[in-house]
Amino acid sequence: MLERVVAVATLVLVVAFALAVDGFATIGNLRVILSNSASLAILSCGMAVVVVSRGLDLSLIAQMVAGATVFGILISNGVAAPWALLVAVAAMVAVGLLNAWLIAYVEIPAMLATLASSMFMVGLLRFAILRGEFLLLLPKSDPTVAFLAGNILPGVPVSVALMAATLAACWFLLNRMSAGQVIYAMGDNFQAARLAGLPVRTTLIVVYVFGALTALVAGLVMASASGVVDFRTVTNGTLLFDVILVVVLGGIPLRGGRGGVRNIIVGVALIAVMRNGMTLMNFTTQTQDMLKGLVLLTAIVTDNYLNPRDAETDTVGDL
Amino acid sequence: MFYGIGSRLGMVAAAALLGACTLMGTGTATQADERLAGKKVIFVPISMGISLTEGWARRMREHAEIGGYSFDVRDAAFNTGVMSELLAKAISDKPDVLVVHNPTVQLLARQIRQAESEGIKVLQINLQSNQPSAAFVGASWERIGREIAEDIVKECGEGSGKSGKVAIIPGQLTAADSVIMNDAAFKVFEEHKEIQVVSNQASDWEPEKARQITATVLQQHPDLCAVFGHWDVHTMGAGNAVKDAGKADDVLVYSTGGGDDVACKAIEDGVQDRIWSYDADGQGRDAGTMIDLLLQGAAAADGSMLIAQSPLKIIKAGDSYDASLCWKM
Repeated sequence: MLERVVAVATLVLVVAFALAVDGFATIGNLRVILSNSASLAILSCGMAVVVVSRGLDLSLIAQMVAGATVFGILISNGVAAPWALLVAVAAMVAVGLLNAWLIAYVEIPAMLATLASSMFMVGLLRFAILRGEFLLLLPKSDPTVAFLAGNILPGVPVSVALMAATLAACWFLLNRMSAGQVIYAMGDNFQAARLAGLPVRTTLIVVYVFGALTALVAGLVMASASGVVDFRTVTNGTLLFDVILVVVLGGIPLRGGRGGVRNIIVGVALIAVMRNGMTLMNFTTQTQDMLKGLVLLTAIVTDNYLNPRDAETDTVGDL
Repeated sequence: MFYGIGSRLGMVAAAALLGACTLMGTGTATQADERLAGKKVIFVPISMGISLTEGWARRMREHAEIGGYSFDVRDAAFNTGVMSELLAKAISDKPDVLVVHNPTVQLLARQIRQAESEGIKVLQINLQSNQPSAAFVGASWERIGREIAEDIVKECGEGSGKSGKVAIIPGQLTAADSVIMNDAAFKVFEEHKEIQVVSNQASDWEPEKARQITATVLQQHPDLCAVFGHWDVHTMGAGNAVKDAGKADDVLVYSTGGGDDVACKAIEDGVQDRIWSYDADGQGRDAGTMIDLLLQGAAAADGSMLIAQSPLKIIKAGDSYDASLCWKM
């Protein structure tokens, strides 16, 4: 299982960094690792649920930026934070519904539907609302922004608490709700699930609305931490690939039907530990990208060696 | 519209220069108009939608309206692949002057050479390529890098009682400004062994990456003395990391930028401390003037690049803080 290989690789890296890198094995650094990986973990929850249902949401980062923009525009125009949050949630539910409608009812492949909705959202927000601007500043003087960027308990940042809450919600959806059972069934064999009379269409609505809401939470966490909503995250950034990487690396196959919260945690842990250790060692950004690629490749090759493909596991649509 | 004394002086100087150039030629303003009218200028920026390029385009457009020549913007929207294509298309449109904003020193070098060889005058704005062309309008990155480094030495070096630890956050390792500023800064730091650069990692111009790097470095070096971000936009993230760590009073956050009101806001909010502004509004005017001159046939006597170096404004937090140093779109 890729998940185990990655978990072992993460442990090896933790031990190596702890021995070799000054300042790695400290409580302060653990806090930085957790808060720096919060938005990635939150987004990965949304993506994981979509992927388990045998979908793919390429609009996740656009949704993240869209949600943060709606919230940011409203609070900077003096709307009270709870109302701003309510409107942002409503907007994200609408986006999730749109994606789900395109996929479940119009029956457009998930990849194309979400790619189109991503372009539509970025275009609409940049030109109709930000008037061509790429950046929206969120002032730390705003109490909601300050709250999201601060600590909920001494030593526990709000972003980390939100990450834990999202992981818990993801676990609850996949393991304790009937929708979760349908999601696994759809991922396993969509046609069979449909023919068996399972409510595949309404479940897709749950899946994509859940994805949109995780994107909103991630957007709020990221924007309030850095003080900026940055549209280049969608147009130029590599965050979408990082999210897909976390999901695949954690051991959730892109053909769906398998995986859970544990896989997300394993995937995020490897990326977060690598990024942190290499930043502490003052590696250049390019070197970091190269080494990240190398470790991923090694993990996948090792997995292929330990778990060779056979007729049963080599399914169409798998990576 | 309100202009600071600096801009007013700039305008007078530019007007005088333009006037002098016209007078030195065959004579009147009408003749200058005839030389400008109907000409074609294309601007290919890294991206519109940021105050820097919007500010430049606004001023260049004003000049185009007065001169009666066309001014066209081709927006690459932060996509370097698209940018090369747009530039190729712009060259095939055969403008009289091409204004180019180089994302890296190498990327557009060949195309700039090609344009010049086809008789198109290329004005490089603020970020220079390895390839020289007709003209350059922009900041001296060497000077900014050196001045900021010297200020860091003063604040963090010998006798300051501080650790001397500095984190540098460039935009991209191959971007002209990052390359030149880092060279200049390291030259200064080498003469001051007490200064220790603990981190030098590019943010890809993204605030969130700069924030994550700064948060990580800060906990490894809690006695960090200064952060030198190469652009005020991504340094917003770094400044917020410093502020969230409760170290706003201990760590000085330096950056550079076009100096619009967002820069002043960052200083007022205590997110950044010192910004070397190259005044994008003034640069837009300089670029407009340079285009006018190029269209009238201006060239250096020895065929080298015409250069208009941007004056710098240093926006500092503290008692000397002056909000009028920033311009508004």
